Amino acid sequence: MLQFLASGIAIGCVYGMIGMALAITFYVTRIINFAQGQLMMVTVMVTAELVGQGYSPWVGVAAGLAASAVVGVLSYLIAVRPILAFNRFGFGWLVSTLGFAAIVENAAAYFWGPTSIPFPTILNSTSVHFGDAAVLTGQQILAIVVALLAGAAFELVRRHTLFGKIGMATAADPEMASAFGINTKTVAMVAFAASALLAGLAGVMIGPSTFANPYLGDTFGTYGFIAMMIGGGTERPITALYGGILLGISAEGANAFVNSRASDWFPFLVLALILVVSPRGLFSSTGPLARLRPVRAGR
Amino acid sequence: MTSARTKKLKPSGTAVPQPPLRRGALIGGLAVIAYLLLTFFVAKANLSIQSVVLVAAVFAVLAISLDLVAGMLGLYSLGQGGFFGIGAYVTTILAGQFGWDVFLLLFVVLAVTGVAGALVGAMSLRVSGLHFAITTFIVTLVLTVLETNLEITGGLQGQLGPAFPDFPKALSGLGAPVAWCIMLALLLCVGLVWNIRRSPLYPVLLSIRDAEPFAEAAGVRTSLIKVGLFSLSAAIAGGAGWLFSFLGVVSPGQFDWSVSLNVLVMVLVGGINTTFGPIIGAMFVSMFPVVVNINPWIQEILYGALSIAAITFLPEGVIGVGRRLLAGKRSGATAAAHTDARPPEAIAAGDPSVDIVAQGGEVIARRAPLDEIMLECRGIECGYGRGPKVLRGVDLVVRRGEIHGLIGPNGSGKSTLANVIAGRLTPTAGTVILKSQPVNGQPPSSRAKLGLRRTFQAAELVREITTAQNVTVGLYDRIPGIVRRAALWPMLPSGRRDTAITQRQAVDSLVAVGAAEWAAERVGDVPHGIEQLTQLAAVCIAAPDILILDEPATGLSAREVAHLARILADLRSQGVTMIIIEHQTRFLFPLCDQVTVLNLGEVILTGTADEVRAHPVVRQVYLGE
Repeated sequence: MLQFLASGIAIGCVYGMIGMALAITFYVTRIINFAQGQLMMVTVMVTAELVGQGYSPWVGVAAGLAASAVVGVLSYLIAVRPILAFNRFGFGWLVSTLGFAAIVENAAAYFWGPTSIPFPTILNSTSVHFGDAAVLTGQQILAIVVALLAGAAFELVRRHTLFGKIGMATAADPEMASAFGINTKTVAMVAFAASALLAGLAGVMIGPSTFANPYLGDTFGTYGFIAMMIGGGTERPITALYGGILLGISAEGANAFVNSRASDWFPFLVLALILVVSPRGLFSSTGPLARLRPVRAGR
Repeated sequence: MTSARTKKLKPSGTAVPQPPLRRGALIGGLAVIAYLLLTFFVAKANLSIQSVVLVAAVFAVLAISLDLVAGMLGLYSLGQGGFFGIGAYVTTILAGQFGWDVFLLLFVVLAVTGVAGALVGAMSLRVSGLHFAITTFIVTLVLTVLETNLEITGGLQGQLGPAFPDFPKALSGLGAPVAWCIMLALLLCVGLVWNIRRSPLYPVLLSIRDAEPFAEAAGVRTSLIKVGLFSLSAAIAGGAGWLFSFLGVVSPGQFDWSVSLNVLVMVLVGGINTTFGPIIGAMFVSMFPVVVNINPWIQEILYGALSIAAITFLPEGVIGVGRRLLAGKRSGATAAAHTDARPPEAIAAGDPSVDIVAQGGEVIARRAPLDEIMLECRGIECGYGRGPKVLRGVDLVVRRGEIHGLIGPNGSGKSTLANVIAGRLTPTAGTVILKSQPVNGQPPSSRAKLGLRRTFQAAELVREITTAQNVTVGLYDRIPGIVRRAALWPMLPSGRRDTAITQRQAVDSLVAVGAAEWAAERVGDVPHGIEQLTQLAAVCIAAPDILILDEPATGLSAREVAHLARILADLRSQGVTMIIIEHQTRFLFPLCDQVTVLNLGEVILTGTADEVRAHPVVRQVYLGE
């Protein structure tokens, strides 16, 4: 009974991290980076490749994350910035970020082939028992911890540091922000690097159980997107994490109570229902949960 | 002005001449014949060429369906792949497993996808823009998941679509019937968007896209039109799915979200909001893998790179670039044409010294305001968010035929009050009574139908079309069947006649406000003051009973202000009631029968201009003495 909750939270944290990664770049540039899943895949592939060549997993993971960050910044410079420079409110980025995703994904498939290669186990072989109710692998617990830490760190930076406030200012009105002397290009590049790192971390968390595959980005990118939408991450990035956890629980729950393939469609049903009830997401400031909360001044 | 004051367009038989069929009609006819010849060759061609062309044509239909909403209304639907899938699956399943007639199924498909589109539109347009794109994206995701996981759809492998019925024997010389069907469907869709672009509905659609408050204030029920057009777009996408099902296997991968995005690539690459751009884009995208036949991964990489390059370097698409090149060549010639095209009376009235009242014909003596109350506000309270109230207990009475000035320092709530009266803002308390009807809760479009028109402080207009085209938006509820007839407009004699009338009225209206020489200029190219005059022309053309003008003299030169004062006095003499918000009291006070002074959201005083001028508090808070 509790098993599906526990493993749902674990996988949900991975979805949530990708959702947050999407939300961070959305927060600063008002675009959804459709190459986010592919940024996660880059970390997974590079890590697997280096570990396969005999490097230590630490080196592999570090190089993988660095590679994601670089590709993330490139995605901004190539697929986002030129488009927004032409028309900040247009929708050209839908096409260009998707084009970027196609390039990254197919380049990976070209180099590594379409089949999966092994990924270091990390903590996947240890298991932790919670009484008789549930059992999680060390890797799953690691995923939960990392996701919560990342979410908390992001909120701390956003609310309590100058950089976070610069990010907020850029998000609200880039022209005004640059009039204040903020280099919005740098802010956006940092946001894309951070978001790629977060997606890469999600890849490191899930890699031991999925193995490394060039097409990993498709599935996880989609689930990350759903996590963001359910949560309302377009307003507050942290809510994407809540959305991811909800998504993970509902997927695992569907597997446990409906049938073993129900996780293929059940989350989409949840998503559709939530968007009917609350188009801006469940945890957004106008969402149904916000109406229950007492009104506080500022946020 | 008099022509503008007729309530309906003049019936045929009056002075307006029937425009003759232009050279364009001849060229159009030749193009259609050439297209039919091409179709004949495609229908007779070998199967591999046929399949390439027909797949491209189906995607062209799909791209046109997207451009219909993305180009004309700015609604970037990512649901086209989903509706495409509904069309294909409904046809395949009902024809293959239940033996329904395929032609009956066309109507079933159009109805099903049309209703689905209306539902999705009604649901997602509560929140606009990006959320519309996202919601439709999710619709496609959910549909793909259903297609993959339901038993009846045949899972990931999909199932073979139905065969298209053969021609009767007599017509068998025409080649493959499915080719004729698909090519004619494409022709029909091109005809549809071609016609809509040439109907008076087109400026209205663009105004919904770029200047929704302007459209609403002209009486357009914008959300209804958005949902309706999206429903049509979904039905066309479903129809494309119906066509597609005859071309082979129907499987979930052909209708997933990447298809939706590819359709957007087609539209953007070819040129958004153009008639032929989507077709060029669809040919490029669907023929690309056939023509560039290399390692599939390299091919995908190349495709990704090309779509980024296209978006970055051709943001207006192939058609946009072509237009700019052509425009560069012709610029000299068109400049000359502009001056020629201007009607002679426009040139005459462009000179403000010509008396506009005399031009309008009937001159009614300036008469005293009647006692009938036109508009009444009782105890209006209004605020934004959690901030302090912007209006507090505002009472306002405006009698028929009077000019009522509304003055006050910045931030005193003048524009807020205008928005409350026009229906853009809902007051937290109080009642607005228009022509003795309480109109609380009615949207701006319903109030416009009661004869209320307004202008905006910051002009809300469509920048990419001419001022005259913007002015025609004001005629929205004066043109009978503007929505109904749009699909066939330029082909109907009555449509061509009404187009001529509306264009003439728009130019007349611009002449009347003194912006005649700008009638053929795009709004993006005109000065700020002309934008204000264009707004004024767009409201005057509708012959309103009551007019709210929000700082109409902003950005006008002294000469233009003097002319504006004469226009307003003339309107008053025709019995139009006006509320004018303005800071230039020297311009405003001589016009006004009554002036209301607002300060900090409260009415200080209502009285004649002299009373207001003499009032000590007004002198202190407003005139700064």
